[in-house]
Amino acid sequence: MTRFRRTLRQTFTIARRDFTATVFTPIFLLFLFAPLIMGAFGAVGGLGAASVTDGAQDKAQIIAILPAAESRMMAEADTQLRGIFRPGEGPPDLTTQPAAADPAAQARNAFDRNDIDAAAVLYGPLAAPQILYGPRGDRAAGYLATLAQTTLAAQQAGGTLPPIDVTKTRITRSRGSVGGQHQSAFFAVFGIFFLTLFLSGQVVGTMAEERNNKVIEVLAAAVPLESVFFGKLIGMFGVAVLFVAFWGTVVGQVTTLLPAGAAAAIGDLRPAVGGPMFALLFAGYFTMAYLLLGSVFLGVGAQASTMREIQMLSLPITILQVAMFGLSSAAVSRPGSWIATLAELFPLSSPFAMAGHAANSPELWPHVAALAWQALWVTIFIVVGARLFRRGVLQSGSARPFWRRAKPH
Amino acid sequence: MGEEWAVKAGGLVKRFGDRRVVDGVDIAVPTGAIYGVLGPNGAGKTTTLRMLLGIIEPDEGHRTLLGFDSPRDASDHVGYLPEERGLYPAMKAREAIAFMGALRGLDWKTGRARAVTLMEGAGLGHAVDEKIRKLSKGMAQLVQLLGSVVHQPDLLVLDEPFSGLDPVNQERLEKLILVERDRGATILFSTHIMSHAERLCDRLAIIAGGKRRFEGTVDDARGVLPQRVHYTPHRPDPAIRGVLPPDALPDRDGWRFELPGGGIETLLVRLIDAGYGISGLSIERPGLHEAFVRIVGQQEA
Repeated sequence: MTRFRRTLRQTFTIARRDFTATVFTPIFLLFLFAPLIMGAFGAVGGLGAASVTDGAQDKAQIIAILPAAESRMMAEADTQLRGIFRPGEGPPDLTTQPAAADPAAQARNAFDRNDIDAAAVLYGPLAAPQILYGPRGDRAAGYLATLAQTTLAAQQAGGTLPPIDVTKTRITRSRGSVGGQHQSAFFAVFGIFFLTLFLSGQVVGTMAEERNNKVIEVLAAAVPLESVFFGKLIGMFGVAVLFVAFWGTVVGQVTTLLPAGAAAAIGDLRPAVGGPMFALLFAGYFTMAYLLLGSVFLGVGAQASTMREIQMLSLPITILQVAMFGLSSAAVSRPGSWIATLAELFPLSSPFAMAGHAANSPELWPHVAALAWQALWVTIFIVVGARLFRRGVLQSGSARPFWRRAKPH
Repeated sequence: MGEEWAVKAGGLVKRFGDRRVVDGVDIAVPTGAIYGVLGPNGAGKTTTLRMLLGIIEPDEGHRTLLGFDSPRDASDHVGYLPEERGLYPAMKAREAIAFMGALRGLDWKTGRARAVTLMEGAGLGHAVDEKIRKLSKGMAQLVQLLGSVVHQPDLLVLDEPFSGLDPVNQERLEKLILVERDRGATILFSTHIMSHAERLCDRLAIIAGGKRRFEGTVDDARGVLPQRVHYTPHRPDPAIRGVLPPDALPDRDGWRFELPGGGIETLLVRLIDAGYGISGLSIERPGLHEAFVRIVGQQEA
């Protein structure tokens, strides 16, 4: 048997023990249903989502494709009508454009621009305008129709409002809206944050069991400590996957009971890489986020000698996770910025930020590189954690630093 | 296996802080032997064993285990009972033994089957499905020992295996060690209880103060001390002291002294000629305990 196969087998022996020892206990049921208590985190997520929505709102526009004279009059009408709305409840800002050779194509192309989110686009004569609108753009389309009518009335200088013949057409975008991508990015970041916050912190105390009942000596004699650490991490990840599968199924079933229109209420969630790939990457980044944070917590927790020390670690652990969430949230709301690059490169925030990146950008190669980069850091954290454990807890290391060991006594 | 030495280590050094806990220890354990590492508390026995097994790395020195330069490569062929016993309290005894076997490469199914056989052989058949937390300390210790042999290792390393066991379980353990030796395993164990070492060991090393003070057979160790003579004359007479060796001390009805370097014959002739006669005479070899005390005492002096 090769060393690799033996190491693999030993790793899974540890994983199997940890998985069964955790799942087949009454405490696990408490853990499984803890999300009912954790509902408060929904509020945190809601606040974050609101900030993303506000950001997306800045890019939303309604567009009128008109001759220059009509554009001016419509802008004036827009200024007057906008006064009747309360702050924050008005339609998206109006932009006017001169008509090109093919106004219909021009209007349709407006929905595929990535610098703005076109909610509705008007073209054609004001007496018989054509209005295209996207998902959640029906109100904006109605407002454009009213604007057209008001502008036409102004043209007729004080006459009664003329009837107009509006044709509204709901269109489907060829790509997700910028706002929808940002929302997808935020949901990805928040989803991974929520799951890892809830699950990866468990890893911190797992080595305490072996330390307290002295089993660590048996393990250390038989198995490389790296395998012990990695095995424990995999075992606990198995627990996390079981948890996610259970609640994923529950939530999935609840979703089928919602009214058909409810899905539209959560917006135009269309990640740039496409839905199936996004789901795959989400799973990959959740795995990496768990393994990265878990390996750090495992290494730090292994140094703790009492349960009290472990409990005291919970606060810094939570702070670290929230910090990574904050950094990644900032990154997904500013794609391409230096803070996004920082969040994507920094190992502990990388899975969060890259999940957001998948929602904002269609390229796939950065994800291959990111997953490899994150896997490298999982390895580094496990090796460093195991060495610190060997040196500090098993007292394998000499107190002398290595540069002094070579000197004769 | 075919190796002459199951364990061979040279110049092992381990420092904790500025203290050299193990200071240049050499150990060579012949394949198939029962080898004892003896020493007082804090002598460095456990640290030496842990270095041999690769649990901790030596600061200096080298070691091979079953012909492997890295102890990790030999781990599937080694069984180990640490000084600080440890099992998962929630595991059943059978599972605990199978788990320890699985760590050393034995499949779970075989491990479970062997666990039952081993436990029945050790008189623990009734506790096969008991959780470890429900076993007595001695029973749990035996379960752990069985876990260290379930994969039928070529080398069995036992750190203070007799400590904490009652006499009945100590005898069971001695038998189990002999069974393992008969199976072909090499046994390396540490202890500071001389009677076990005297009965079991083919060879032994005595460690004190982190250094190896002695290496050889039990007879070699006992040979470190001269034999002792117990002599009883026909009649008590203080003047006999002038005939006896200077180290002679009164002992109940006679005298006790070290066997003279040239033998006992000359002295006996002188005693008979002086009219003291010989009412009783015995020549005793010192035990391992006395030899150990002498060897360790020399180091401490």
